[in-house]
Amino acid sequence: MFFRVIDKVRLPDLVRGLATEYEVIAPVEKDGRFVYAPLEDPGLLRLDYDTTLLPPKKWFFPAEETLMRFRVADNEVLNDEVAVAPRVLFGLHPCDINALLLMDNVFTGKYPDPYYMRRREKTLLIGVSCTPSDTCFCNVWDTNEVHWGFDVFLTDMGDRYFASCRTVKGAEIIDRFVENRAVIDEDTREFQSVVHDFKDAFHRDVDTTQLPVLLDAKFDSPIWDEFGEKCLSCGACSMVCPTCYCFDVHDRLDPDQKSGVRARTWDSCQFKEFAAVAHGQNFRDSRASRVKYRYYHKQWGYLSKFERVLCVGCGRCARACPAGINPVNVIAALQTGEVR
Amino acid sequence: MSTTQGVAARDIQANPYHPWPARITSITNLTDKEKLFELRLIDEDVREAFEFQSGQFVELSIFGVGEAPISISSAPSKQGFIELCVRDSGDVTGALHAKQCGDVVGLRGPYGRGFPFEEMKGHDVLLVAGGLGIAPLKSLINHIHDERHEFGKVTILYGSRNPAEVLFRYQFDMWKHRDDFDLILTVDQPDDTWDGETGLVTKLFDQIDVDPDNTYGAICGPPVMYKYVIDEMRKKDMDVDRIYVSFERRMKCGIGKCGHCGVGHQYTCVDGPVFNYWEAMNLQGAI
Ligand SMILES: Cc1cc2nc3c(=O)[nH]c(=O)nc-3n(C[C@H](O)[C@H](O)[C@H](O)COP(=O)(O)OP(=O)(O)OC[C@H]3O[C@@H](n4cnc5c(N)ncnc54)[C@H](O)[C@@H]3O)c2cc1C
Ligand code: SF4
Ligand code: SF4
Ligand code: FES
Repeated sequence: MFFRVIDKVRLPDLVRGLATEYEVIAPVEKDGRFVYAPLEDPGLLRLDYDTTLLPPKKWFFPAEETLMRFRVADNEVLNDEVAVAPRVLFGLHPCDINALLLMDNVFTGKYPDPYYMRRREKTLLIGVSCTPSDTCFCNVWDTNEVHWGFDVFLTDMGDRYFASCRTVKGAEIIDRFVENRAVIDEDTREFQSVVHDFKDAFHRDVDTTQLPVLLDAKFDSPIWDEFGEKCLSCGACSMVCPTCYCFDVHDRLDPDQKSGVRARTWDSCQFKEFAAVAHGQNFRDSRASRVKYRYYHKQWGYLSKFERVLCVGCGRCARACPAGINPVNVIAALQTGEVR
Repeated sequence: MSTTQGVAARDIQANPYHPWPARITSITNLTDKEKLFELRLIDEDVREAFEFQSGQFVELSIFGVGEAPISISSAPSKQGFIELCVRDSGDVTGALHAKQCGDVVGLRGPYGRGFPFEEMKGHDVLLVAGGLGIAPLKSLINHIHDERHEFGKVTILYGSRNPAEVLFRYQFDMWKHRDDFDLILTVDQPDDTWDGETGLVTKLFDQIDVDPDNTYGAICGPPVMYKYVIDEMRKKDMDVDRIYVSFERRMKCGIGKCGHCGVGHQYTCVDGPVFNYWEAMNLQGAI
């Protein structure tokens, strides 16, 4: 990797420079919380944010998007082009970059998803180091470190940033848009000290030993009924999750009924009809079975294919859940057999 | 990361969500609720690229209504056309039933893992279908028929609710007299016209001989049926990894992305819909 040091006071130059060629999406404050939004003014950038309400996934996989326009008469696709403008996502935390890497596994493979992939290819990612909040448990999955998947990663060292440039594009934008200098030994030592302090700041722990085995062996455990009793099937956990990718597809006709669009929207395995089929059959009719499925898929289903769990410990679902269901507690309950 | 440059509509691989127009070339009324549709992909390149195995399915697309996963009922050995045996059970299947010969619908696929046809060669085969479960098995039956000399004894057990619901009855009536297929039909509720067996399909196991070391099984039917048929096959000492089942789950994409078809730790659309019983036993909540 290629490293540079940037003076903190110079950071607005980078943002302004990027804005001349890209749409810049960054964390800004909204009603006391933080959201990723187009950055109108570098002064609004809040790199001190804890976590954003919605994860960055919506910039690659929007809550609703058109897949294609069609004509009814001959069942023809009129247009399935994906129009994307060059973008920078500025200020992603390690968990959210790791989450995109997990999403990439799903949207690539044997059937690459052109909608997601085109946006992914046209978007630069600039990461920034963070301070753990009380809902973060990325340390449990080692997703508090990120080694690739970004163009530049900025580690905060007080008065300056240690900029790790992962890609050619990343090195280029640093060189072009902001005054920077080479790394000296003192910077590297400071970097080591900062990242160690960061690792030491995590206090949350949960025993994840043999989770896939436990999920199978305790499939009929009463803990799921207890969580099922609490869950409201609102789906908020899936919507705010940076790694939840499930979607629904539906057609909408134009007023003339001759053409229309096929669109997809975010969906949630917590919704009752998610696994319903014809003739009144529903494979996950009970709330307990659906809550269980969310964890079963994240900690075992996904892992069986991609060797990682489908969670980065961002804590968004715990914050969003009106019933107070928190993955740390769910995993603990699976280990101990007791719901707390 | 692989690049997906310029998603051209003509590029077959470029957009996996893109359905290809297919013309309905014939429609056969099978029962009150089921029709057999023969379809021909209109684009020659797409048609030639379309190669499938028995047990695989397509996403049937009717723009303005939606998509539904449907098993291919014809054999891979039938070139240029595919057949779908479809029950009118909702929006998309209802819209298909309203179509006429010559109308155009959309198809994408084929998807999923089919039956292990090559592996089954050289062995006896025991096929058990319940109701509409005959749809994917029909493809396998026809394929075996076309390469009959490659197989040992072929036994087909097919259960329906009543005589009016027996699918492909015209063909099966003819097959009753063949000695290269042991075909037994049964219905739960017989009528005056019925000269076959009565009762559940599991009852037929008393009438058949199975060589446990040399037989592959394949089962497709309503969810409640699997457990009982598998029990019968196990009583005949058939190996768990030579019994194949085909599952139906809700599906939206067919390509392992939308998440709807999850069964245990797998996705039915890409890991199935055909699983062997050993795999199915390891899928929590599958059977
Ligand atoms: C691999 C596979 C192969 C198949 N092969 C065949 C085949 O060969 N032939 C065949 O006829 N069928 C087959 N099916 C079944 C077929 O895909 C379903 O019956 C499908 O639902 C039909 O789509 P539809 O739009 O007509 O029905 P839908 O309009 O989707 O509705 C059918 C029923 O599903 C339920 N449902 C749908 N949406 C909801 C919701 N939001 N909430 C609650 N319930 C809901 C309702 O009970 C509704 O009546 C197969 C399915 C799979 C997975
Ligand atoms: S499951 Fe919860 S903690 Fe894990 S990535 Fe999703 S929102 Fe974050
Ligand atoms: S946010 Fe909580 S209540 Fe809502 S579906 Fe998820 S687990 Fe259930
Ligand atoms: S149908 Fe979408 S993942 Fe299987």
